[in-house]
Amino acid sequence: MTSDTRDSASVREDQPLLRVEGLQVSFPTSHGVVRAVNDISFEIGAGRILGVVGESGSGKSVTARSIMRMLRAPGQVDGGKIMLHGRDLLNETEATMRDVRGKRIAMVFQDPQAALNPMMRVGDQIAETLIVHGTRKHEARQRALELLHKVGIPDVERTIEQYPHEFSGGMRQRVVIAIALANEAELLIADEPTTALDVTIQAQILKLLVDLRKDLGVAIIMITHDMGVVAELCDEMIVMYGGRVVESGPVRTVFNNPQHPYTNALLRAVPRIDTPAGHALPAIPGSPPDPARLPGGCSFHPRCPVAVEKCRTDRPPLEVLAPSQRAACWVSASGGDVEALPMPVVRTRTTPEEPGKPILQVENVRTNVGKPRHPIWAVNGISLEVRAGETLGVVGESGCGKSTLSRTIVGINPVGEGRITVAGRDVTRMGKEDLRTVTSTIQYVFQDPYASLNPRRTIGQSLEEALSVAGVKGHAARTRSRELLERVGLNGDHLDRYPYAFSGGQRQRVGIARALAANPKMLICDEPVSALDVSIQAQIINLLEDLRDDLGLGYLFIAHDLSVVRHLSDRVAVMYLGRVVEMGTAEEVYGAPQHPYTAALLSSTPEPDVDARKRERIVLAGDMPSPANPPSGCPFRTRCPIGPLFNKDREICATTPPPLAVTSNGQIAACHFAGELAAAATV
Amino acid sequence: MAREPRRFNLTASRYLQAFRQPKGIFAATVIVVLTTAAFLAPAVFPGGYDQQGRDALLPMSPEHLFGTDELGRDILVRSLFGLRTDLTLVYIAAPITMAVGTLLGLIGFVSKTTGTLIQRILDVIVGFPGLVLGICVVLVLGTGFPALLISIVVIGLPTFGRLARAALLSQQQREYVTAARTLGISRSTIVVRHLLPNAVDAIIVQGAVFIVHAVFLEASLSIVGLGIQPPQPSLGALLNTGMRYITQSPTYILGPIIILLLLAFAFSLLTDALNETVNRK
Amino acid sequence: MGLALGCPTHQVAEGTGASAPSSGPLVLAERTESFVLQFLTRKIPSVLFVLVVSSIVAFILPRLAPGDPAVVLAGPDPSPATVEAIRQQLGLNLPLWQQYLDWMGGLLKGDLGQSYVLHRPVGELIAGRLESTLELAALAALIMIAVGLGLGMLGGSPRSRWARSIIDVFNTTFLAVPPFLTGLLLILLLGIVIPLLPVSGEMGFFEDPGISIQFLILPATALALPQAAVVARLLQTSMLQIRSEDFVDLATAKGVSPFRITHKHVLRNSFGNAVVVIGLRIGELLAGAIVVESIFARNGLGSLAVSSVQSRDYLVIQVLIMSAVFIAVVIQLLSEIVLAALDPRIRLGA
Repeated sequence: MTSDTRDSASVREDQPLLRVEGLQVSFPTSHGVVRAVNDISFEIGAGRILGVVGESGSGKSVTARSIMRMLRAPGQVDGGKIMLHGRDLLNETEATMRDVRGKRIAMVFQDPQAALNPMMRVGDQIAETLIVHGTRKHEARQRALELLHKVGIPDVERTIEQYPHEFSGGMRQRVVIAIALANEAELLIADEPTTALDVTIQAQILKLLVDLRKDLGVAIIMITHDMGVVAELCDEMIVMYGGRVVESGPVRTVFNNPQHPYTNALLRAVPRIDTPAGHALPAIPGSPPDPARLPGGCSFHPRCPVAVEKCRTDRPPLEVLAPSQRAACWVSASGGDVEALPMPVVRTRTTPEEPGKPILQVENVRTNVGKPRHPIWAVNGISLEVRAGETLGVVGESGCGKSTLSRTIVGINPVGEGRITVAGRDVTRMGKEDLRTVTSTIQYVFQDPYASLNPRRTIGQSLEEALSVAGVKGHAARTRSRELLERVGLNGDHLDRYPYAFSGGQRQRVGIARALAANPKMLICDEPVSALDVSIQAQIINLLEDLRDDLGLGYLFIAHDLSVVRHLSDRVAVMYLGRVVEMGTAEEVYGAPQHPYTAALLSSTPEPDVDARKRERIVLAGDMPSPANPPSGCPFRTRCPIGPLFNKDREICATTPPPLAVTSNGQIAACHFAGELAAAATV
Repeated sequence: MAREPRRFNLTASRYLQAFRQPKGIFAATVIVVLTTAAFLAPAVFPGGYDQQGRDALLPMSPEHLFGTDELGRDILVRSLFGLRTDLTLVYIAAPITMAVGTLLGLIGFVSKTTGTLIQRILDVIVGFPGLVLGICVVLVLGTGFPALLISIVVIGLPTFGRLARAALLSQQQREYVTAARTLGISRSTIVVRHLLPNAVDAIIVQGAVFIVHAVFLEASLSIVGLGIQPPQPSLGALLNTGMRYITQSPTYILGPIIILLLLAFAFSLLTDALNETVNRK
Repeated sequence: MGLALGCPTHQVAEGTGASAPSSGPLVLAERTESFVLQFLTRKIPSVLFVLVVSSIVAFILPRLAPGDPAVVLAGPDPSPATVEAIRQQLGLNLPLWQQYLDWMGGLLKGDLGQSYVLHRPVGELIAGRLESTLELAALAALIMIAVGLGLGMLGGSPRSRWARSIIDVFNTTFLAVPPFLTGLLLILLLGIVIPLLPVSGEMGFFEDPGISIQFLILPATALALPQAAVVARLLQTSMLQIRSEDFVDLATAKGVSPFRITHKHVLRNSFGNAVVVIGLRIGELLAGAIVVESIFARNGLGSLAVSSVQSRDYLVIQVLIMSAVFIAVVIQLLSEIVLAALDPRIRLGA
């Protein structure tokens, strides 16, 4: 993307594959016109990968749909050009566009569960792309077989006849990619293609995309919110905020020397897997702007740590600020430093010198989520404990049983076997008194801040309900509610507002305030930041840390994001298929993972670091088996990179389940060959 | 601290929003006018619905807007008295059906086995097509007002019982209900405080649909002679008699039909308006 | 190529088990057959439950009515001899459960009993009226399906604004207006104002199909249109909802034409819902026949039901109630089987 002032009449080879110029998209609504995309320009050359980074409402998906001319009603393009090989797609007829779609430009969507027609065989769905662009039927089928094979789907002769519901999420995304590749399109637009997938599956898909680019030379526009994905995959990038491009350039240049404070914040405000806990994250205040109400001037100024007076009034143009790098910022344009971030409070973490009695003890607990006669053990023999002021992180992919575990602890799922002790009381039977002990000791912070508050009740009512359980009523409850709101960083006067008046991050704060109402000793945080925008996550993580240290709370912190868990946790438990496969201090587990699954998880997580691209990744094969039908012996053996799949003589893995035991270097893992992959994975 | 009005704000005035849009205003006007006319009929026409005139089977005219019947009685007057019977019937039956049906749907959330049993029974009722069920009730209780009332309630129960259950089931999956449970709120409190208010929308909207259904049920049963019996007037009973004179005086049945249509359109507009109101966030 | 990272997933590897690889239609037929059996074994208990309970309801009705069941069953003004005969024949002195079993046993053997009001066997009475109602219901069902599906598809496809509003007006009108009102309006319009079609009476189809149809058109239309509106509304809503699904976007992104999207992707996913609604509506159609037959002076089972209720001819009405419930339940079951056969997620036992 060496695009300075290029003559539009230059020779054909000089044409970029796609050039977007001054694109403007708006959505006329009954409340006025929403300008979703405002004068954006970028280009992508043949065989390149362009990362488009932004948070919700930044206009990145709208841009992608505009290129395909597939805007949802009432969206409309108000101006600009979309030049594919020098021809403006905006001037083409709908019939011509149908030839372009699927043949010249193809698209991959975010949610593979929804992107395939459930009533059509996958083979027919691939063949359809070919048939509508003129391939004969029997040839289309032959080609569909090849494509399925190419995207790494096994046993194609059989799977081509299957329906989408017979495929896992990762496999469905492969089918979607096969559809996109069918007519050898030159450009692939991938809209958050891995966001709905687990880390190990994401690694598979990203590897697939890199390989396809290498083999087929397809150019990819990668739309994502994850700087790690950009670092891993892309050549160039643009950063979008409030419907505009705020920075663009080659990935390495932008990562090493961001010229816009927003880019800088996105890079610095996310926890990293290789940084130990101990310091607060430099969080950006506020939330991404609502496209219907963009602030004047530079739309980032209300959240910008380095904003000057001019930022409030005048909109900065996207200017060339460094060779091949552009940014729209008054401060960097005048040579200022945009890397200054709100100074993180230096945390004086006082880990309790003498850890007291555990608040929570879980011993060999199993939870049946199936029928009594056909048990499905979502939690299959787990032991752990949490003490005051300490955070135990639990990581694992979806379906590993981490949420069932937390629901079992608070009595929503009945304990099948084993024992749970809360505040010294055996609560396994979850009788009335037991539940009283549990609810007064342990509270829950939920994942989805939109679903965890009753839309029909003001947040004051929600808080007072929680307080009334703890016996605080009437005027005292009102006062305490205000205190709670202010404690989590919200305005105490907002008690009478309904949840819809709050942003996602604010709602999550309300959820935390509610959990604190009963003065619990411990919080279970179930993916508390994974539904939030990147720039909000840091705020909530900091809040949770402050509360833990100020109130001496114990946390059971459940997440799939290894970086977040590392940032917050003292000790970490790694779960796979209902079991803990590795446990230890965060330094131990992240520094020298003993279990091959831990090693693979660490290796699969994309890091916002361009130099990480060089390291060899462990990409796991396949998906996690269903807990309804677990493999014999070691649950991980069907995917294990050091197990019987690759070492035929390791029969022990298929016959004997490895116990969670002390390994040769003194850590705890459940593997017959613990520690073998540790060296490969350390970052 | 104005906390009481807030709760009110959430329930009643939420639905009153429906009457802010043209549709809702129109629907409300028609419903109020018809209802007032029907219930004031005895005061306005002290002669009652049996006052006979000299001319039988007159067509529509300025003196007799809807014409006269076979005994020279004014059909408009009879229609209004008939409407009064119908509205009395449905204004009693609808709230009972909504309340009892919803309650039946709720029971499953307090006691699982009773709830399943109730759903099974509702399944059986649904197995009977509407009018067949009406016939069963008439068979036992004979024709007349009480039998109609009970028919309407029985036919409506499964609708509301299932609706309430479905709405509650979908709410129960929501995280805020789990949140209430982890706070230690009791099951019955959760049902009343969290589940019910979020299910009320669907029930209110269905209520507007049901009122029209109930009127039509009366008319259907009366038209075949199994509903309200002469001399008591009802819209259905009028149609029943009018059918016999359809060749001599086609406009006989037009009056009651116009009133039925007005009622149907008013309530269907009301349903639309309510629907739009509750679906607006 | 470095793409061999895809190991068999659990679903793909172990999902559908024993079915032979490829060889499409044959496998599908086998799968469908075994699926219908499976589906029936799962559904039959609840269907039987509904049937048994409704038979108990039908059985108990005359015994719930005030007075001596024998007198009730004998109809108005019975002679003491008739009452005694009924008492003997139905074994009214036996325990209730035995009476029920005897009655059910008779029904299952085809012995529908005797009408003491009309002094004829119930079976004969019903057989005499069956054709009229069957013709009415069949034509009405056809109209309902054709109009319902047709308008639903039109409404669910991208249309000009005015076309859509015409469809909306039709739906709103007939959703709000029940069969008897449609019938009365049709009589006034096409029978009286513009006398095109006969408004009362009937003619057997096999006597003279042409005239028979003339008599059938108005009542069948009256019966069908309100139900057609329900079908159309549902299909339209379902299609519009499917239209916003991601897989329709993917189809657009593949370059598929709007027409092909509508019938290959949208309709195929909405059709199952329409089938279920049609199944449910056919029961309502039968019940609607009671009123429509009365309005159009047709001597079908509906009028038989009405006159039996009026003359308290319980033995006839019991059989009619049972058959109405039976037909409604069986048609619902059939429609669910069709739905399941259409949807691979149910068919392949997800």
